[in-house]
Amino acid sequence: MRLGLTHMGNIYIPIKAMANQLGVDLIVPPPTSQRTLDLGVKYSPEMVCLPFKLQLGNMLEALELGADTLFMPGGAGPCRFGYYHKVHELILRELGYKFHMVTQDLGIKDMLKYLTNGASLREIIAVFRFGVAKLNALDELECMVHKIRAVEWDKGEASRIYKEGIRAIDDAADYQSLNRVKREYLQKLMNLPTVTSPAPLKVGVAGEFFVVLDPFANMDIEAELGKLGVEVRRSIFVRDLVRFNPFVYYFGLLEKHRSHKAATPYLSRHVGGDGWQSVGEKVLHAGDWDGLVHLEPFGCLPEITARNIMSSLKDGLPVLNIIYDEHTGKAGMVNRLEAFVDMLYRKKRRQVKVCV
Amino acid sequence: MIKVGIPRALLYYQYYPMWKTFFEELGAEVVVSPLTTPTMLSSGSSRVVADTCLPVKVFLGHVLSLVGKCDYVFIPAIRSVSRKIYNCSKFLGLPDMTKAVIPESPPILDIDIDVNKGKRRLYQAIYQLGRHLTRNPFKVRQAAIAAWQAHLNYKQLMSSHSLTPPQAMERISGTLEANPKTHSSYSTSTRSTIAVIGHPYLLYDEYINYRLIHRLEQAGYTVLTPEMPTTEELESAIVRLVGRAYWTYEDEVIGAGGHYLQSGTDGVIGIMTFGCGPDSLMMDRVHRQAARLRTTPFMSLTLEEHTAEAGIVTRLEAFLDMIYRRKRREVCV
Repeated sequence: MRLGLTHMGNIYIPIKAMANQLGVDLIVPPPTSQRTLDLGVKYSPEMVCLPFKLQLGNMLEALELGADTLFMPGGAGPCRFGYYHKVHELILRELGYKFHMVTQDLGIKDMLKYLTNGASLREIIAVFRFGVAKLNALDELECMVHKIRAVEWDKGEASRIYKEGIRAIDDAADYQSLNRVKREYLQKLMNLPTVTSPAPLKVGVAGEFFVVLDPFANMDIEAELGKLGVEVRRSIFVRDLVRFNPFVYYFGLLEKHRSHKAATPYLSRHVGGDGWQSVGEKVLHAGDWDGLVHLEPFGCLPEITARNIMSSLKDGLPVLNIIYDEHTGKAGMVNRLEAFVDMLYRKKRRQVKVCV
Repeated sequence: MIKVGIPRALLYYQYYPMWKTFFEELGAEVVVSPLTTPTMLSSGSSRVVADTCLPVKVFLGHVLSLVGKCDYVFIPAIRSVSRKIYNCSKFLGLPDMTKAVIPESPPILDIDIDVNKGKRRLYQAIYQLGRHLTRNPFKVRQAAIAAWQAHLNYKQLMSSHSLTPPQAMERISGTLEANPKTHSSYSTSTRSTIAVIGHPYLLYDEYINYRLIHRLEQAGYTVLTPEMPTTEELESAIVRLVGRAYWTYEDEVIGAGGHYLQSGTDGVIGIMTFGCGPDSLMMDRVHRQAARLRTTPFMSLTLEEHTAEAGIVTRLEAFLDMIYRRKRREVCV
């Protein structure tokens, strides 16, 4: 079995670590590029959303490299995503590729067995824990770089160190070196010379999971915001998917559950995808964020519902919606971000004056 | 008497007799919004963000037209009506979205229907809906049973007489005369048949689709609609095309499409709206199936609020000309 992977941000790093330990032959397609997007767009239905197209492109590139098995999470739910694995499979088969599609439809047990080459449950858990440790290291580093980018003296230095850090975490083979590398790079980021005043704006980034997490899909919006001197606050992380802590889960302490609760007066039920959470984040953070950037792929069903509700909330939190598809240009996005951030600065200055 | 308003849009075409019976059994008066008008569409679309889909904009226009005419508006959130098959997320958010974008709307009667949560939750939801009108649970129960019976009768009427939803509703309310335009009067003749597939709220809203069915009938074609095949035929077509249904109301598209492509009709027209999530995948499957089979011509029409009548008419004429020539050649051979 040669398992082909699809990209979403840095998620390939923990998966690669797990596959190495289990002895699974993993094929990581080249990082998502314009070619990936072009391939995906060429063979996708016209009006399907950007994540579908990017993942189809990744699959095609993985198949070109010789993958014979593909994995795509799926399931039932109101968002289109749960059905994508089926359509991906049909499209790739029509193109003449021969492969095996592994999805949740097989049942969790069979799926795990297939993906792990029949490893025992104990092995799987041990390996999974290591994967989660890598994931947490990556997320911690990312949290830190969000803060440092806004205040660093040399713009771009934090991003450079962050990239190095990702590579180092990818290379770490055991817990010890992982911890060492993590500490080292966190320290490096903290030691960067910083500007002390003015205090950076805090802008939240929320929206559809894939677009928020994948820097190619969102055109590296977090780095762009950092360049404008904005501290990015984000509560969507990959680790939310794998957090099993029963206390945190059952007492509703996860950010996700808190935002669902906050959204309930305005949107009382789950609408698929991350629509509920997007509304919740706006309600929850109206007081402590200066603005919110809401990202979604074009035609995203849950986010359209969320956006309609968000725009009717009168909590005074400015929202910038950015909608991505294959025709979105980076310059347009940067222009809109600059205008938004200027507006936020002016708003803040006025508030400060009024207070004095 | 309490007046309950029902917008004539979206799920109205599937469930109106059921809803009407339920509310009337509980002693309410049912007010239905008038047929779609251009004002409704423009007032509805002025309230929402631009990329909301056309049927939702029309729906909000209907809700706006009910403001001041009723005490409650009935907007159900139908999550799932069969196990593991869910509905498009726009339907789920509909009550909340309406509340958010139309603050002046009458209080919304909203019911969360999800059969995956079990019968108990379903009955509770129905009872909670009935509580707005009566405190007596037995009365709610009776009304629900009567409503379900009305729904079954409605479905039965549509499939046995091959009627479209508007015709069946007219038949139930007793206003249908000997209408020369009914499909049954054509079915014996040897004319060409065209199947139209898509959601009922697109096919039977004459404003949205520019009287497409009427135009086809005027051109002398027998029109087949997604209600006409039996459930088994639809299901086998779904299995053939995609394996398993994923959305609730997609058998109208993929089941009917798959069925009509192989049932010897002369052409299939698929109607979808711009930005429709489920249809973007499902209509594409029908399209690909048509391309693979190469037996039945297929045309897909995408509607939105900027669609022009002339454009639709031109495409329709070209499609019908093509079918006509194809047929003539077959006869010659």
